[in-house]
Amino acid sequence: MYDVTKPEHDVDQAETKISARDVQVYYGDTHAIKDVNVDIADKTVTSFIGPSGCGKSTFLRCINRMNDTIDICRVEGEIRIDGQDIYAPSVDPVQLRAKVGMVFQKPNPFPKSIYDNVAYGPKIHGMTRNKAELDEVVETALRGAGLWDEVKDRLDTPGTGLSGGQQQRLCIARAVATQPEVLLMDEPCSALDPIATALIEDLIDGLKKQFSVVIVTHSMQQAARISQKTAFFHLGNLVEYGDTDMIFTNPQDERTENYITGRTG
Amino acid sequence: MTLIAFLILFVAVVIGYVLNLRAARTLRAGGTAMHSLDGFHGGYAALSVLIPTFFLIVLWLLFQGTVIEMLLKGGLPSGQLDGLGTGEIQLIMAEIRSIAGGRIFGEPEQWKLDAAERLVSLRATSGMLLVAVTAALAALLLYRARRRVSAGFRARQGTEGMVHGLMVACATVAIFVTIGIVASLLFETIRFFNMVPFWDFVLGTSWEPQIPLREDQIAAEGAFGMLPVFLGTLVIATVAMVVATPIGLLSAIYLHEFASHRVRSVVKPVLEILAGVPTVVYGFFAILVIAPAIRSFGSDLGLPIAPNTALAAGSVMGIMLIPFISSFADDALGAVPRSLRDGSLAVGATSAETVLKVLFPAAIPGIVGGILLAVSRAIGETMIVVMAAGLIAKMTINPLDSVTTVTVQIVTLLIGDTAFDSPKTLAAFALGMVLFLMTLVINVAALRIVRKYREIYD
Repeated sequence: MYDVTKPEHDVDQAETKISARDVQVYYGDTHAIKDVNVDIADKTVTSFIGPSGCGKSTFLRCINRMNDTIDICRVEGEIRIDGQDIYAPSVDPVQLRAKVGMVFQKPNPFPKSIYDNVAYGPKIHGMTRNKAELDEVVETALRGAGLWDEVKDRLDTPGTGLSGGQQQRLCIARAVATQPEVLLMDEPCSALDPIATALIEDLIDGLKKQFSVVIVTHSMQQAARISQKTAFFHLGNLVEYGDTDMIFTNPQDERTENYITGRTG
Repeated sequence: MTLIAFLILFVAVVIGYVLNLRAARTLRAGGTAMHSLDGFHGGYAALSVLIPTFFLIVLWLLFQGTVIEMLLKGGLPSGQLDGLGTGEIQLIMAEIRSIAGGRIFGEPEQWKLDAAERLVSLRATSGMLLVAVTAALAALLLYRARRRVSAGFRARQGTEGMVHGLMVACATVAIFVTIGIVASLLFETIRFFNMVPFWDFVLGTSWEPQIPLREDQIAAEGAFGMLPVFLGTLVIATVAMVVATPIGLLSAIYLHEFASHRVRSVVKPVLEILAGVPTVVYGFFAILVIAPAIRSFGSDLGLPIAPNTALAAGSVMGIMLIPFISSFADDALGAVPRSLRDGSLAVGATSAETVLKVLFPAAIPGIVGGILLAVSRAIGETMIVVMAAGLIAKMTINPLDSVTTVTVQIVTLLIGDTAFDSPKTLAAFALGMVLFLMTLVINVAALRIVRKYREIYD
């Protein structure tokens, strides 16, 4: 699957998709994210690691403005996708979220049929003109999520009836069905067994051909396996960001080293 | 005397608790391995004294009146009550009781004065006996409980068993009361159907219950067809639901999804105040504000409108039901996991799309359950319709006409000069029975729906 002649960190040359400058996030009086600056490359898997409560999920949710749905949350600084400031008044968060898909920690299929789960986004955004086109979009998305062969004969059954791993892939299919440019994943495998996790990891590796994938994970092995870039968060600060190989073999910061060697949590 | 008995009970319970607790502690301090914690030994003593003694006192108070009366009657000079009807005997007993209470009217016969004196002494004896028996029983139970304290005694199981029994007793109270209510309805209804044929009642289209109670009264012939009355109930309930359902649901959706924190913190309490308004006040509102407004609006349009329209009563009832439906719908929407909402928003759905396509379908069971419960409230609601709806039963579904409801008819049938052997009063029970069955069916349906679809998004 990998091109062995080309080390993975060479994808550095890929152009920047998301760039964050001096991002601050406050929950009421709590300063949750402090001065985060990061450039996330296109067609790359970037993983955010760090102890619980370090702000990695919060930062992830800034990228598609899901934090807007939390009343007490306030975001300062600048996040640009393709050079466009996503917090500019002219940007509609609804359109932004169609472009920046998200997969959550716990599989959250809607209590609808498998077909309707995947067709939900395309229908809302009026992406198809007729049923045949919609069928095609659904099939493509389910194939992209590696779920098509398992569910093609029971598209009318409820999505909630699938197994946990299948539900999570259904949610990935739902997210990719709107043809986003960025896919955010918030610990997508934390509720899954190792086999389902392996399936999803393979999937993510394929997805990076189309999207810029940003994944939050608690598993350092997972980060090492699937990502080309890794960012280490600690107490709301982005401590270290760089090629995954470098972070795991030669961390520059003492805090990173302590974390990845398991000395501190 | 009763107070003293309860005091004795209280003291015995406390003593039992402390004694057993101390005894258990002493044993434990002596190095014995106890099965139960000290507190359970104490609790066992307290409960095993409390429960039987309490029931003894209650039973004593329930039956002492009857027993004293029987003793009193037996002790009256022979011949005094011969040939008297039950009513007259009751009158004499009441007179004796009031003499014993010190309220003497006129010049009662000597035997009545003697009887009153004996009544006073009987009552005193009964009080003394109660105290004595209570004390004896409490002491016996205390002794028994104290004897049981030992290393192997399973005081925890004993205490838990008694608490379990108490809870079962509380749970069955509701069931027995319900059975009692249904039974009383049922017996009177059966008596009614002995006088009025069943099908005349169920399929009759005319309701004129004003039949003569006494031979010499002039009144209508009487007809007991329930259809017009039920039609009236349905018309008013329909008007109420037409008002309450959309307003309640939309306000719930607004408050849950769109309202800012500040709006929500004002509107929610106001809705709760609406839920707390007594129905009689809604009745005023219907008579004094809504009904005249509807009538003057109708006369502006040239429509003849009855003073007591179903529309007025129904729409005010609908206002009453708004907070009911909106709080149910709000709870149902709030019970939908946040992850579903996030999932929908994350693919770029707007709040409106999220509510309509994801939250609402997922919350439907709770919402339907709430609406059905509101329907049974609308059908059973009494005060508003008594005040604002009409009295005359008409076969009509025109909400601008005056109609009457089942509850209004029950109230009017049972108010004033009544005798419980005429079909006029018994008809109230038959109506009540049908009302009960209707709301029962709706409630069961509501519970079924809620239960069947409840876990759909898990």
